[in-house]
Parts: sequence; structure tokens; C-alpha cells
Amino acid sequence: MDAFRISNLVKKYGSVVAVDDLSLAVPSGSMFGFLGPNGSGKSTTIGCLTGLLDPTAGAIEILGQPFDTNSIGLKRRMGVMPETLGLFEPLYAHEFLAFVGRMFGLDEATTRTRVSELLQALELTDSSKTLAEYSTGMRKRVAFAAAVIHSPEILFLDEPFESIDPAGVALMKQWLRRFTAQGRTVFITSHVLETVERLCDAVAIITRPGKLVWQGDISVLARDGAIAFDGQEFRALEPLFLHLTGQRYADLNWL
Amino acid sequence: MNFELVGHLIRLRYKLLWARTRSRNGRIALFIVGYLIFVLVLVLLGAGGLGAALVAVESGKALLVARIVLASLFLEMMLATVIMGFGLNAMFSDAELRRYPVGAIDRRVTRHLVALIDPFWFLGFALEAGLVLGLYLLGAGFLGVGLIAVVLLFVTNYLAARVFGVLVDRMMQQKIGSLLLMAAIFLVALGAGQVPLLLKRDPAAAAQAVRFLRFTPPFGAAAAITRSGFEAASGVVVVLCWLVALAAALVALERRPAQRQKLPTTAISFDSFYDRVGARFGGEDGPLVAHWLRFYTRNTRFRTLGLLSLPILGFLAYTMGRPHGPFGKLHGPFDSLFVAALGVFPLVGFLAPARFTVNQFGYVGGGFRRYFLLPTDAAAALRTGNYASILTGASMIVLAAIAWTVLAPGPWDGRMLFMLMASGIAGLFLFHGLGLWTSILGPRRGNYNQALGNDASVAGNVVLIGGAFGCVLAPHFLARFAPAWVSPDRWWIAAIPVALTLLFYVFSLRAASALFRQRHEQLMAVVEGRG
Ligand SMILES: Nc1ncnc2c1ncn2[C@@H]1O[C@H](COP(=O)(O)OP(=O)(O)O)[C@@H](O)[C@H]1O
Ligand SMILES: [Mg+2]
Repeated sequence: MDAFRISNLVKKYGSVVAVDDLSLAVPSGSMFGFLGPNGSGKSTTIGCLTGLLDPTAGAIEILGQPFDTNSIGLKRRMGVMPETLGLFEPLYAHEFLAFVGRMFGLDEATTRTRVSELLQALELTDSSKTLAEYSTGMRKRVAFAAAVIHSPEILFLDEPFESIDPAGVALMKQWLRRFTAQGRTVFITSHVLETVERLCDAVAIITRPGKLVWQGDISVLARDGAIAFDGQEFRALEPLFLHLTGQRYADLNWL
Repeated sequence: MNFELVGHLIRLRYKLLWARTRSRNGRIALFIVGYLIFVLVLVLLGAGGLGAALVAVESGKALLVARIVLASLFLEMMLATVIMGFGLNAMFSDAELRRYPVGAIDRRVTRHLVALIDPFWFLGFALEAGLVLGLYLLGAGFLGVGLIAVVLLFVTNYLAARVFGVLVDRMMQQKIGSLLLMAAIFLVALGAGQVPLLLKRDPAAAAQAVRFLRFTPPFGAAAAITRSGFEAASGVVVVLCWLVALAAALVALERRPAQRQKLPTTAISFDSFYDRVGARFGGEDGPLVAHWLRFYTRNTRFRTLGLLSLPILGFLAYTMGRPHGPFGKLHGPFDSLFVAALGVFPLVGFLAPARFTVNQFGYVGGGFRRYFLLPTDAAAALRTGNYASILTGASMIVLAAIAWTVLAPGPWDGRMLFMLMASGIAGLFLFHGLGLWTSILGPRRGNYNQALGNDASVAGNVVLIGGAFGCVLAPHFLARFAPAWVSPDRWWIAAIPVALTLLFYVFSLRAASALFRQRHEQLMAVVEGRG
């Protein structure tokens, strides 16, 4: 079964086309990487998938049901870490997480235990600072905790690893593996191709403006295999990515 | 000092202002209309100053009239900066200015010049300059000295407002400071009632007080404008001394960084008053109401205004409710203080959260999108924020009713109290209904931590300022032209505005929720800083 399916998704901001006729199906239980250069429409796609944005055209189906901004029941089964994190800066981490937990219908006792455990595990025990005073990496950890606190069935993570230290990344990867091992789905955008290569079973690559150029299984790479495309063999994700999205050379002679 | 860079930065402020105006078509027209109105008001105020000069000369009490005009203007400008946040927008913070190659002094001068070159301060200056000009034309004053004194007074007024604002803000961030402030307000509120009695009993004390008041900036300026020779010179010196002292105080305050009280590092506490209040709204809305309450009450500006609004509004009711004051003639058989209080009560429930109410999402920043990820109707965020604001407002009305019962002179009259409460509740519904609309149609990205300055949008300010003026003035004219509305004998009429505004509020809640779902992407762009 598919965790979610996008058909012919179009999203325009005024006259700017951010996603153009994108179709994609992500199977349940997979760790799926969604890659593309800056401004190619990854965050916009996640926005449409999570109810932040209204698609201009196209259909989205999540866990077998049609999804739109008002699908409250489906939202309860999804966890999201948006690109801009979506934190309330004046709050303390535990207040923010407790708020999110309660909104997702956890009872008070469960909320308390989970918040404390998450804060402990993610080393966010400095409770004298508001979220505004946390470092970028710490804020990212809080946003990650908010995405998983209600143990969702699908996780949407927009650039989760960027600016988190190696120990944090290792911990998150371990959690995500366990997550998919239980048949749940993770959908990740990232620029760290090595991490994606080691973590994900399948990827989709898009280019500006939101056009799908390649989708497939990359588990062969982990077994020292190669991906054949355009009559070439690619032994790693990076050359494939650069081949698909176009390598650019610009020479600034003063730099 | 690098004057060229400072000049560039000040121009940048106006370029940014203009850029914001240009981004939507109709705004240019609005800008021009606003500008014309501003010039008109300037002319009117200048004429008012001239008129005051005329009165001063005819009555032969030039010094007295000048003192009264300048002192009340000084106080009113201070009040307006505190209540509405006028005239204290610095636009750039020190940290932002550090990006440019300018020194510490340049940064300070830039920030304060930007704030001082604000239409608001020119309004006061127009009146003061009119007064000087009038006295000069009528041969009762000197142009040169007078203008110097007035310019100094204008800068002193700005500095006094800023120092007061920073001081209060710093105090509110500390537990002890807020307690001290509360005690001070309590004393002033109780003491203010005693002053007229004291003066009546002991006329010599009044003369003594005036002798002291000569050393205040407005009295100094009044002497400089109307007197000559040594007296005028010492008047200028008085103002100048204040200017230097306040500038020094401001620099000292700004050098000492604000220290927010830190929570102890250990114990995380989950159980809070807000959560228990929120729980009354049920499982769906409860956590959101608690969230908004926390968001508001953590804000220093909210807390400051919450603390100051009752004394300030009490003062306003007192000045507008003098039987021999400018509105006294309208009151006919009614108790003047009661009529004025009827106009002030609608503001009681609104002043503290006003900035949030008219711009619900302007201060949540990147948190805005979180509301759409939560498994709830997105418009619940709009509704609950408004409920939380109403809750805080309603508790202020209760406090105001207690204050009225304790402090108002004359025998207690239950009908009057009913009418005052009704007026307060009608104001609560009216402003919160309007706030729903301005939050969606006129959002503006603001800074949660900004303690001073007015950062509401045009629409928000129209509701805030227009509403405040309308409410405060209405009962005085009703007393004259439709006395039934303010008469305690027909106290039950006060239920009509409550019913009407409640209707408006319920309608707004429904209609605005639908509009919010429709416009949430535009709002997101503005609130998160891309609009
Ligand atoms: N709110 C917005 N208004 C207008 N254009 C936008 C907005 N958000 C994104 N875009 C545009 O849409 C395109 C895709 O953006 P985004 O989805 O953020 O890309 P990515 O996440 O892949 O870097 C970009 O060209 C960007 O400029
Ligand atoms: Mg992105």
C-alpha cells in the first residue's frame, strides 16, 4: 500500500510556478528521500502535503484517504517538521512540546512523560532559555521532538539534519530506522546527499520548477552496486544528482 | 560623528516606510490623504496655539496660560506614548545598526533622531510654535528665545517619554521591579484623590507647589516664552538642564542591558494557571486558549499596560469629568465624573491586549504555520486568541468596577455600576469583533519584545485610535443630545449596546473564521516576514 500519493500537483504563488504537474507515490514503511536544488519546490510540496498550502491543482491522497487543509483526522496521524520549524519563540521548550502534545490529543500524564523523555533524549534540558534563546541546532531538535511526540504514522521532515551536530544526527537516524522498521513512513528532504544515500531506500529528484526528473530505488548503492541512467553508471548519489540537476560553473575572478 | 552615514540611515528608514506604502496600489492614495490630514491638523494645532496666545494676552495672564498649555501638552504627549506607543518607533535596533560601519554614538543618535522625526512629535511642536508666534505677534513674547525654548522642550518631551518607557519596561522584567511599580501606582492613585482636598485646606501649600513646579520643563519654557531678561534666560536654562539630565539618564539606561529574570534551571513545571483556565473551553479549544493566554501574559508590554491602564484611564476619566472642564457644559444634570467614566470603561478591557487583538498573528512569527499542522480547524487559532484577549479584558473590567466602587465620590449607586459594566462589556465585544477583522485584513509583522512604539497596522490603528476617541467622547455628547442613554434613571437602556455588540461579535466570529481559512497563505507571507 502507498503511504501517500500525489497526482498532477500544481502550486503557483501568483504567477510563479513552484510545483509543476508533480506525480509521486511513496510506499508505506519506506524511508523516502526527496531531493532537488534550492528553490526547486521541495518545501512547497511538503507544504501541500501537510495542509500548510492549498494546491492550485492536483490531488493528494494520504493513508488511502483524500487530503486537504481541513483533513483533521489525517493530520492527527502525521508528524511534520516544517522548513522554518514553526516554533513560538517566547515559550520554553517544555511548554511548547506540551502544547503540541495536548493538541494532538495526548492526555496530560502521557504528555508529561513524553515531553520529559524527549527533552532528556535530545539533550534539551536547559530549561532556563526560551526557544528564541536556543541555538539553531537546538531549535531544530525541538521541532523534531514536536513532529514525533504523538508517534505519527507518517513523518514529513524538511531538511531535518542541516545544522544539527553529528551526535544528534546519529540519534535521529537511529530513531527513524526504528520508525520505518515498524512499517511507518518517513519522507525527508535534504541536501546532505551522503546521509540520504545511507539512510533512504528510495529517492525522488526534482528540478526547478517542481518537475520530477528521477525516481527509484537506491539501496543498490549501499551494496556497492550502480544505478544506470542515460547510458551512464552512477556509483553514488552525488554524481547522479549533479547529472540530473545540471552542474554549474561560474568563475568570479575576484573571489 | 559620521554625519553622512547617519543621514543615509535616516533616509533608509523613510525609504523602507515608502516601500511598504508602495507595495499595494490603494495605499499611495491613502498615504497622500493621510499626509493632507496631517498637514491640516498641524495647521489647526498651530492655530490653536495662536488662539491660546490670544486668550493669554487678553486675560493679562500670559505666563499662567502658557504654563497650563505647555504642561498639559507635555503630560498628554507622555500619556499618548505610553498608551498608544506613538512617537517611540526607533525602527532600527542597536544590533541592526551594528551591521553598518558606524560607531556607538552614531548609532545612538541615529536611533533617537529616527524616533524624534516622527509626525507625532511635530503635532505637539506645531501647537507650541503657534503659541510662541501668537505671543510674539501680540507683543507679549520674544520670537528667538521662545522658539529656542520650545525646540528644547520638544526634545525634552521626547527624552522624558523614552526614559519613562525604558524605566517601566526594565522594572516590569524583574519581580521586585513590578512589585515596586505596582506599589507606586497604588500610592499615586490614592494620593491623587487627596491632593485637591489638601490644597483646599492649605492654600499656602499651593503657592509652595507652584514654586517647585517652576523647575519643571514646561514651566521653564513658559517663563522663557513670556518673560524677558533674567527670567527668560533662567527658563531656558531649566529646560536645558532637564534635557541634559534626561539624555544622560537615557544613555545610562541603554548602556545597562536589560536583564530578564531567568527560571531556575531544574524543575520543569507543567501545571499552570493558564492550562486550568483553558480547560474550561473544552478539549478542542482548551490548549489553544491556554497557549494564547501564556503568549500574552508573558509579554512585557502587555503586563505594563495591564498595570498602567487602570490608573491612566482613571486619570483620563478624572480630567474629562471635571464639572468645570471643557466638557462640563454638556453634562447638564448628570454627574460629570460618571459621564466621563462611561466613555472610559469601554477601553478598560481593551488597552492591555490591544496590540495583539487588532493584529492577532503579527507577533507569532514563524510559529504561525504551526496552527495549520495541528489537527484542528485552522480558524480555531483565530477564535481562541480572541477569547484569551477577551478573558484578560473581562478581568480588567472587574477590577475597574471594584476601583469605581471604592474610589468614586458620592453615595454608591448600583444603577451606575450596572451602566459602567455594560459600557465596558459593549466595548469589549465591539473592539474584539473589529480586532478579528483587522487581524485578517490588516496584518503586520511586529516584534514581540518591542516594549515601546506603535507597531499596529493602518487598519489596526484606525480601530485603536478611532475607537478610543469615539468611546471617550460619545457619552459627553449623548448627555447633551440624547440624555436617556446616560441617565441612571433609565439604566436598563445600557443593555441595548451590549446586545448589539454581542450580535456583531458573534457574526464577526463566524464570518472572520471563513475569511481566515481563505486568506491564510497571504497572512502567512506577511506574518512570517515575506510580504
Ligand atoms: N510564499 C511564497 N511566495 C512566492 N514564491 C514562493 C513562496 N514560497 C516559495 N516560493 C517560490 O517557490 C519556489 C520553490 O520554493 P521552495 O518550495 O521553498 O523550494 P525548496 O524548498 O526546494 O528550496 C521558489 O522559486 C520560491 O522562490
Ligand atoms: Mg526548502
